[in-house]
Amino acid sequence: MRFQPRKSRARVDRLTLNLASMIDVTFLLLVYFIVSTVMARPEDQLTSAIQTRDADSAGAQIDYQPQVIEVVRLDGRPTYVLGDRMLDDLGSLTEVIRGLPKEIGVFVRVSPGIPVEFALAAVQACRDAGFQQVTYVPEE
Amino acid sequence: MIDVVFLLIVFFMVTSEFARDVRAELELPKLQGEQNDQTEEAGLVINIQEDGSIILSVSDAPLDLESLEARLLEVFSGEQAKEARVLVRADARASTTRLNEVVRLLHDVGVGAARMGTEVPSGARRGGGP
Repeated sequence: MRFQPRKSRARVDRLTLNLASMIDVTFLLLVYFIVSTVMARPEDQLTSAIQTRDADSAGAQIDYQPQVIEVVRLDGRPTYVLGDRMLDDLGSLTEVIRGLPKEIGVFVRVSPGIPVEFALAAVQACRDAGFQQVTYVPEE
Repeated sequence: MIDVVFLLIVFFMVTSEFARDVRAELELPKLQGEQNDQTEEAGLVINIQEDGSIILSVSDAPLDLESLEARLLEVFSGEQAKEARVLVRADARASTTRLNEVVRLLHDVGVGAARMGTEVPSGARRGGGP
């Protein structure tokens, strides 16, 4: 009779963690945030000082001739008025104001009843022309 | 680990919902804006819809000018208003009549400057000057 020595089976209990479901969740989150970021329309902003045409503002107490761009409606069409020049497109406005002195800033006086996009385009033109100080003046 | 993952899910869901709540679905003017790469705090966000209605939060009812003034006075007081950060998101098709009213109101409560929201046109380069 042969007796085989009994193998000592050292039981090693290993703790295992199934990561498959967590990886699924992580990828799902990743895809969600990537898609929602791409879908979001990129926004920016135009900063301008605010003044009204009261006695204490909008160039009433300054000792120089303010540079004023008026956004008005002429003959039913929104128009930019700069001095005696009337411009109806953004490109011409930008070209004209590019030659103005930048140090004293510029006022954008906006009449009511104009589409917002047209009015803000004037502020954008000032920025594009290199003005750091742009003041929005709401007209009544 | 699962706890952490769930915590992250909840965090991102809550923050994205909150961010969406103050920004109404508007067609902003398609302008490049200042192209400033620095991330700035939005501050108070005033949304002006195409029909001129004013909303501060998507989940709230539109405000009239009196209510907006009351809210502004509540949020900003005295010297604090001068440095206040206000973002006005006006729909491109809205009239400047309403925008001017809001801007005048901001001036009246002491806000010195406002930021007007724009939508960067697709293909516009970022990070540079004009």
